[in-house]
Amino acid sequence: MTSTAWVVIAGVGAITFLTRASFIVFADPRRFPEWIRKALTFVPAAVLSAIVVPGLVMPLGEFDPANLRLAAGIAAIYAAARTRNAFVAILAGMLSLWALQWAVG
Amino acid sequence: MRPTLHSRLAFDTPVTDPSPPTARHAFWTGCRDIAPVLAGTVPFGFVAGVAPVGAGMSPTESIVLSVVAFSGIAQLVVAQLVAVQSPVALTLVAAFIVSLRFLMYSASIAPHLAHLPRRWRALLAFLMTDQGFAMALQRAGQPGDHRFLHFHALGVGLTLYMSWQSAVVAGAILGAQVPATWSLDFVVTLSFLVLLVPLLRRRAELVAAVVAGAVALAAAGLPYRLAIVTASLFGIAAGVAYDWRTRR
Repeated sequence: MTSTAWVVIAGVGAITFLTRASFIVFADPRRFPEWIRKALTFVPAAVLSAIVVPGLVMPLGEFDPANLRLAAGIAAIYAAARTRNAFVAILAGMLSLWALQWAVG
Repeated sequence: MRPTLHSRLAFDTPVTDPSPPTARHAFWTGCRDIAPVLAGTVPFGFVAGVAPVGAGMSPTESIVLSVVAFSGIAQLVVAQLVAVQSPVALTLVAAFIVSLRFLMYSASIAPHLAHLPRRWRALLAFLMTDQGFAMALQRAGQPGDHRFLHFHALGVGLTLYMSWQSAVVAGAILGAQVPATWSLDFVVTLSFLVLLVPLLRRRAELVAAVVAGAVALAAAGLPYRLAIVTASLFGIAAGVAYDWRTRR
């Protein structure tokens, strides 16, 4: 395990730095084809959604649309859209989840 | 620089002073401006410190991973894949896919940093995060004096880095003692949720997000937790396809 772990750590460190530094340090974004730049604009929405949606509707690995996290997540979405404040939205989500867990017992 | 991008990604975090007159002032303003975001990043860092330990890595390995990668998503993906003993190459591919968004951030922010020496650019690139990127573009889009924008970004980046790593260390060492009933891991979902919501105002991005979310559910049974990778690629393709169709 251990030597494998260090290979993974070094590899992931290199990947996260090189993707961050790509255009800031190494390349000029204007020299890249339009379709690549176009595709990149959809990356954050796609990656974030691929993480958030399962976290809301299948928190235990099984599809469960009636779970408390989805209800708490909807409260957080409402707070995020309404206040545009990350702190308020995260707080709203956690407090909703705790309140629901307490209410359900 | 397209102003739409800034307005889509930014939170309306109160900005203490629109035109800091000195480098030092800009730095401390950056430290203060990012403070509200720590409500999400600190508990998230704690979870990101615990997760690799739960997956079988040592606390030291979890901490070093965080120090070099400084990316919550990448750290959690590594933890998930180490837990199911995925091959190293596959773990690295998954880390690359979830890091693709850094390419987009990097391309968007590069014009604002192009005048800086290489060392400065490398440092700010290393410190760039989802939250720091949103803050920097919001800042750059405001009217006023931008001579010390890089000091503002440094203040934001260092504040996030120090608080993130402290939270990861705490998580890696103490994580096992937090009761599961606190549902602290939900902070991870919420942290990404608050980044996702402002993106959904544009139709093409909404399509990308809906398709990625649906594929993530449908592909949940794939081995080695490949659902995130598959879903991301489908979502990007859907966004491009939608954009291409509506243009013609």
